[in-house]
Amino acid sequence: MMTSALTLLYLLKYLRENNPINSIKMKYTIYTIAFCIVTSIGFAQDADAIVGVWKPSNGKVYVKIDKIDDKYYGKIVWLKEPNDPETGKPKTDKNNPDESMQDVPLRGYRMLKDFEYKGDGVWEEGTIYDPQNGTTYDCVINLKDENTLNIRGYVGLKTFGRTDTWKRLQKKT
Amino acid sequence: MRMILSIHYIFVLVLLGSFQFSLAQDDGEEEEDYSIYDDFEVVDDSPVKNFAKPTISGMSPQKFLSIAFDAQMPYRYEFSDVRFPQSNPGSGYDVEEENPTINETGRAEFTGGFRFGSNIPIISKSSFVWQSGINYMDTRYNISESLNSPRQPVTLPDGTQARSLSRILNEDGLRNLNWTNTFFFPLNAKDFIVFQGQMDLSGNYDLDAFQPLNTIRYSAAAVYGRRVNDYYRWGIGISRTYRAGNLNYIPVIMYDWTSKSRKWGTEILFPARAYVRYKVNKSALLLAGFDFEGHSYRIEDYSVDGNSFEIRRGEVRPKIEFQTKLVGYFWLSVQAGYRWNWSFDADQLDGNNDFFRGFFGDQQFAMVNNLDNPFFFNVGINFVSP
Repeated sequence: MMTSALTLLYLLKYLRENNPINSIKMKYTIYTIAFCIVTSIGFAQDADAIVGVWKPSNGKVYVKIDKIDDKYYGKIVWLKEPNDPETGKPKTDKNNPDESMQDVPLRGYRMLKDFEYKGDGVWEEGTIYDPQNGTTYDCVINLKDENTLNIRGYVGLKTFGRTDTWKRLQKKT
Repeated sequence: MRMILSIHYIFVLVLLGSFQFSLAQDDGEEEEDYSIYDDFEVVDDSPVKNFAKPTISGMSPQKFLSIAFDAQMPYRYEFSDVRFPQSNPGSGYDVEEENPTINETGRAEFTGGFRFGSNIPIISKSSFVWQSGINYMDTRYNISESLNSPRQPVTLPDGTQARSLSRILNEDGLRNLNWTNTFFFPLNAKDFIVFQGQMDLSGNYDLDAFQPLNTIRYSAAAVYGRRVNDYYRWGIGISRTYRAGNLNYIPVIMYDWTSKSRKWGTEILFPARAYVRYKVNKSALLLAGFDFEGHSYRIEDYSVDGNSFEIRRGEVRPKIEFQTKLVGYFWLSVQAGYRWNWSFDADQLDGNNDFFRGFFGDQQFAMVNNLDNPFFFNVGINFVSP
């Protein structure tokens, strides 16, 4: 945000110092730059609308979605039952088909991976992992409104899947 | 002037680039204090409703698409003579049920064919699931009639002769085309209702010459269930079904359970099916139990005077089934078991209208048939849900 503010300030300063603008080419250049800035700010803000903490419909976990290198990832940050009732120890990813992962704690586990923003409130190209059965599904995320996500995990074709609704969480005020 | 403008232009582009780069910065993987999330609440004030999932942990994978080949081993059969309403007007068909007059005998060397099934999610949300599927079951016969069979030709009410049932089965076989829709309505996090409706077109028709659509038979079931936890659910309901061959209204019991170790479980939707499940490993499982399947097959040759003559075919199949993953979401299933004939009798339905005999009704049959019980095998490939 700092750099965007700097950019805008510089543009305004440039416009003020060179006013009136006589050259049509100059006008075109400035409008193009302004358009790039405005649209990139808007696109980035739309893309980041997914960032935050979310609660799936079953209410068993909270998932925090972050942006890392232009992609979006979600990790489990809270569990309704943090401990395994059989062992009394923190739950691990015991259903993972990769045995080397079965001791990894579920809290902190990245269950959403590699989502890219495609515009119109849609994030695709990512996967969702279900710790209950150790299965990874293809996934598409739709932003229904600023506090609601529709997350669809599917197999191959989107029709072979199921949609869950997630609600945005915030710290209690 | 142009030089200065170019420098300004480049500077702005560099700033723009650095701005976009800053947006893409990694938030980092530093350790978090997860305890802060204990104090989070939903932003939206609208009530958040939790819904029961349509399955429990450890169940066998649901088949989205399947193709299978089913084959019964050879068995002997006895078919009674065929009676039409005119045989005894107003009082049924006058076939002696306990000791019918046997008109046809022989041996079915082969009974079976391809089965195609589908169960496609149309709407699949946490609050509602609708799955729809077209299913097709082809049953071909290879019959060796006894030397003296049929003892009497089958004579229609107008005096013309028709093919014997053995010959019809041998030449045409039986087909079932089915459209099933299943709706899952979770009421809350535990309670749910399942409604299933299906339409069946069954008979000795060819795919290029369907029988009249007013011979479609309708089945339905409604089950109220409770998903007690991730490992256990039960349900109870009522169904209108042709599984026994003829029309029946019978209760339905659902009982799905998985042990905490996930090794053992049950998958019961009685009377349609009931299995004990054993998980061999993550990619293979065994089911032991039974299927109860059946349809009412119209025999075109005997459907005269606006009536529908229908074979009430119902069979119980105690079996063992092995399912294993082939690749990805494609699984192989191999079944072996015993085909126990429940019914192969026939009714003639006035004006295509079905009637309810139930288990205790005394309406007379148009044919009373007997099939010996052979072993059967079934091999299929399924595209499944994980």
